Amino acid sequence: MEASSNSPLSVSIDFETSHLFFPHIIHWVLAVLFVLVLLFRVAPFLAAVKRGEKALPILGESRDNFRFFGTLVLIVAYFYLMSVVGNFFPYTGYGFLITSVVFLFLMSLMYMHTRTRRKVVTAAINAVVAPTLAWVIFAKVFYITLP
Amino acid sequence: MMDILSQLDFTFFLLASIGTLIGIIFGAIPGMTATMAVAVCLPLTYALGLEHGLSLLLGLYVGGISGGMVPAVLLNIPGTPSSITTTFDGYPMAQKGEGERALRVCVVASLVGGLISAAVLFLFAPLLAEFSIKFSYVEKFLIILLALTVIASMSNNMLVGIFSGAIGVWLSLIGTYSLSDGGNGNTRLMFDFMEPYLFEGFSLLPVLIGIFGISTILLEAESGVKSSLTGQKIKIGKEGGFSLSIFKGRLTNLVRSSFIGTFVGMLPGVGGSAASVLAYTQEKNLSRDSSEMGKGAPQGLIASESANNALTGGALIPLLSLGIPGDSTTAVLIGAFTLQGIQVGPLFIPENTDTWYIMMVALVAANIVMFLLMFYAIKYIARVVLVPKYLLYPLIVMMCVVGAYAINYGIMFDVWTLMIFGVLGYLVQKVGLEVAPLIIGFILGSSAEVYFVKSLESFGTLSIFFTKSPIAVVLWGLIAASVIFSIVMGLKSRTRRQLEMSQ
Repeated sequence: MEASSNSPLSVSIDFETSHLFFPHIIHWVLAVLFVLVLLFRVAPFLAAVKRGEKALPILGESRDNFRFFGTLVLIVAYFYLMSVVGNFFPYTGYGFLITSVVFLFLMSLMYMHTRTRRKVVTAAINAVVAPTLAWVIFAKVFYITLP
Repeated sequence: MMDILSQLDFTFFLLASIGTLIGIIFGAIPGMTATMAVAVCLPLTYALGLEHGLSLLLGLYVGGISGGMVPAVLLNIPGTPSSITTTFDGYPMAQKGEGERALRVCVVASLVGGLISAAVLFLFAPLLAEFSIKFSYVEKFLIILLALTVIASMSNNMLVGIFSGAIGVWLSLIGTYSLSDGGNGNTRLMFDFMEPYLFEGFSLLPVLIGIFGISTILLEAESGVKSSLTGQKIKIGKEGGFSLSIFKGRLTNLVRSSFIGTFVGMLPGVGGSAASVLAYTQEKNLSRDSSEMGKGAPQGLIASESANNALTGGALIPLLSLGIPGDSTTAVLIGAFTLQGIQVGPLFIPENTDTWYIMMVALVAANIVMFLLMFYAIKYIARVVLVPKYLLYPLIVMMCVVGAYAINYGIMFDVWTLMIFGVLGYLVQKVGLEVAPLIIGFILGSSAEVYFVKSLESFGTLSIFFTKSPIAVVLWGLIAASVIFSIVMGLKSRTRRQLEMSQ
């Protein structure tokens, strides 16, 4: 991609490295934009943080740590265990069904602010019925692959 | 023509109705949008045929945009960003006990907005497609560049918008430079160990479902999944009070707002809130009796709701004629179309005339179903606003998994893509980058590469982007105009802010 001599705008692209040509340009664009963003957005913002007018995102904000990290852990565990359990029963979708029931129930419990008997029972019914319904519709009626 | 009629069976209209109903429910629940409705319900379309899938998807789209009015009027919370201006007049009316009347005004306005934009779509999309069919790679690249600049200039801050768009383009380049596009089939932007997973790059739909589904859940979890609505009573107000005479003398408003909505919808990446805010302020500036607006005047509802429903037809215009999504919902639709084997672009309408007519029927049907459901059953629909989030959110995660896993017939990495982009979408929104330009950049990035590299390979000079055709020059003019527009707007708001500071 070196410029040839006859015109400053001429470009020739070597086929062997043509997969890198456009990404290379995008890297430069990103780098320039990043510097501009730093200068015009991040620097004034940090100055405002220093003066105590604004709070840093993520670090300086209040957050419901239990529910946030709980959600992350539950989702990761759900995704991981789905394929683990699914491998015991290949091509049945049981992995999806079993882990979904557990996941739905735990996540519902975590998101409740007050746990009354009635709420827990509703969540339990929801956790059993919804994945079963999804499993029947997708795996049995539509023949869609599930883990 | 008979072929088309035979496709329009009972199931077709049933699916359009189901889609609209689910869409309304999603739209009505604050924090959930039409985009999410389409993303979460995607797996339902995997097993459906093309026509049936389309009717379901368009129903979801129309319903999702419309549903936002319900909490906007009843609880002063916009159900979707585009119903923000509905709260200004809707909530005061609901407090006066006129909730049902307000909602019915909204429903009628929505129907008119939806139908006008559908008509514009029907007339305008084929023309634009015919025009763009002659485009070579050079013009196609410039169109994408224009789309990205317009998105960026409509963002809160142009620099941040462009930066977000460029990140989206970068993400789309991960994987091979595909042989089928005339590339050399080599991979880039990754380490060797990632090759088995990322050879084809990230799949579009898991990326979209992750960004719109999972990251919303994460944002909600962070704020503690507050059930601020429990204990709140929904006051729908007394029966009746609605008659079409409310619309007397409001025809100009109705039509103007619908066209504003359609036009804003056409601009790529511009969210729904821009359309309704613009229509609302126009009505406020131009109407003779705007003093009541903001205190419960139906004319505000008319402007807001006709504009936001007109988005639907507008956003489909660039999608169907150029292959460029007009907003984030159509971005998900593009994925769903690809799944059904439809390549959207200039050739779509001429080559798939039947499908095109069927889509129009589905769009109109969805609008009518929306009207019937919401006009007569609004009381019952209004209750879904109170469905507890602790039941809803786990369900959404589950549906996201089904959608991602099944898309490529059972690839677990697609499910992990959900997680990666869920977290990424969360971080992006946290640090103040913009999701819409990023997504559009991601969708258009790989075609931009192909058009750009092919143009240079065949012409060998960068000047071709300026000299190829008069259209290229016009496109550059438009690109410059959108950049200048955004800079001027930025300067204006800065001086205004400084004025306010000094006062």
